[in-house]
Amino acid sequence: MITREEIQNIAILSKLFIDENELDTLTQDMAQIITFADTINTAVEELEDFEDINNLSNVFREDEVLPSYDRSLILKNVDGGENGYFPVKKRV
Amino acid sequence: MTYELVSGLETHIELSTKTKIFCGCTTAFGSEPNTNCCPICIGLPGTLPKLNHQVVRYAIMAGLATNCQINNISKMDRKNYVYPDLSKAYQVSQFDKPLCKNGYITLDSGKKINILRIHIEEDAGKLVHERGDTFVDYNRGGVPLIEIVTEPDFRSIDEVKEYVEKLQLIMKYVGVSDCKMQEGSLRCDVNISVRPQGEEKLGTRTEIKNMNSFTFMAKALQYEYDRQIDVIESGEQVIQETRRYNDDTGETESMRGKEDAHDYRYFREPDLVTISTTDEEIEQIRSLLPELPSAKLDRYINEYGISATDAAIIAKYRKVAEFFDEACEGVKAQKIVSNLIISQIFRRFPTDGEKEDFEISITAKMLNDLVLLIDNGKLNMNLAKSTLEKMLDTGKPVSELVSEKDLSGVDESALRQICEEIVSANPSAVSDFKNGKTNAFKSLIGGVMKATKGRADAMLATKILEELIK
Ligand SMILES: [Zn+2]
Repeated sequence: MITREEIQNIAILSKLFIDENELDTLTQDMAQIITFADTINTAVEELEDFEDINNLSNVFREDEVLPSYDRSLILKNVDGGENGYFPVKKRV
Repeated sequence: MTYELVSGLETHIELSTKTKIFCGCTTAFGSEPNTNCCPICIGLPGTLPKLNHQVVRYAIMAGLATNCQINNISKMDRKNYVYPDLSKAYQVSQFDKPLCKNGYITLDSGKKINILRIHIEEDAGKLVHERGDTFVDYNRGGVPLIEIVTEPDFRSIDEVKEYVEKLQLIMKYVGVSDCKMQEGSLRCDVNISVRPQGEEKLGTRTEIKNMNSFTFMAKALQYEYDRQIDVIESGEQVIQETRRYNDDTGETESMRGKEDAHDYRYFREPDLVTISTTDEEIEQIRSLLPELPSAKLDRYINEYGISATDAAIIAKYRKVAEFFDEACEGVKAQKIVSNLIISQIFRRFPTDGEKEDFEISITAKMLNDLVLLIDNGKLNMNLAKSTLEKMLDTGKPVSELVSEKDLSGVDESALRQICEEIVSANPSAVSDFKNGKTNAFKSLIGGVMKATKGRADAMLATKILEELIK
């Protein structure tokens, strides 16, 4: 079973701010998601190759340039970055 | 014991699309770091990729130009690995249903290098190392690539080099990539193993990643060939691994153990739908392919009677070949055109890069006009050459540089009269020639050409002079 502490930990790792009073609801939601995923595991496997998702194919865009984002927005999640770059944290 | 080299190649080529593979960000090279980015190409959660149609068309063109079969049904897969240059911790690539398969490129020897597959994928970002710190620029992240995978068909470094050169030229002709190795738009991963001559079983292979120069590739292959032989001769075993070539030491060094496909946990990319291409669409793309380098070469040698060396020099540069073809319109002696380009025009384009870009001041039509005058005997070679120089200097057409009088040439009786004058004015040159100094004849011819301002037919003048002196 998933715990409040695990949710808190995931939030920290994902750099998400979660309000104290949201924690209980989120823990319940996450538990439901995991139970749902477990249901999928019990599904009978068909040998058929699934070629199409929802019978869709060929969803393309044409090769036309769209404006990119302002760099300050791109680097917002790394506190503005360093000299326009994403810094890479040293790993031990 | 002698050992045989066995090598296969994975070549990554950046496609010349205007935008990235899954978003509308530009693929322009050399922009400020992280300025060609959006939430899709930096891999933010909740974003949805949408495939650039041109990437599919270009990949199919590349496949058709290398004799591949095109898969009517193809799909994208996620290749999972964790590295800071990969924003999503997976690369969207193709696993078991690539766009193209089973092609080949023929080497000059007639040997076929088999192409196993060509698939499309996204490029990673670029890591920048500075004073012990590492930074990422995601401008390159999401730029479309094709990866061309060969069978282990190479048996020498020369074969590898020839293949890469041929591949590069084909892709440039087809126009799917500029294939600039120094800018990293063509990079090779080389698989290499050795085995005793005559042995059927393949040896354990190593892979050298990310080679983007012919020189390094040749050096790295040679080093790795020698190293593997040393390992085997000393009774040890070659370890299957990924190695990097260090140009400072001239050696390859171990990077990491080689991953196998299962290490990447490939699975279907759920955010992208199936790519389906009908036979009609494939044939339509085939009809748009330009004449390929091998066909051009064949035509120059067999139809135009140009020497293999000269034909290869022309066909080596796409823009030069196109210029040449246009300048040959209606010309009887195409050899004159190739000679003028190689011996005269190329003097103004000394480097490979300049010939590649071929920013010439005259149009092919202007050269064509000049050559047609030579063809019709209206302009002799000397005058044509000096006119061409003037054309290249000024960018003006032949009609503005050569007068009607020049084009009329000098008729035989007028020429005979001039020759007589030259002979009587230069008695010493005449007697020198009679005494066996063949060089003296040149000064007489020179005199005739000077007197006619280069308009005389040199062959005819020679004939008349010989008659007069005898
Ligand atoms: Zn983007």
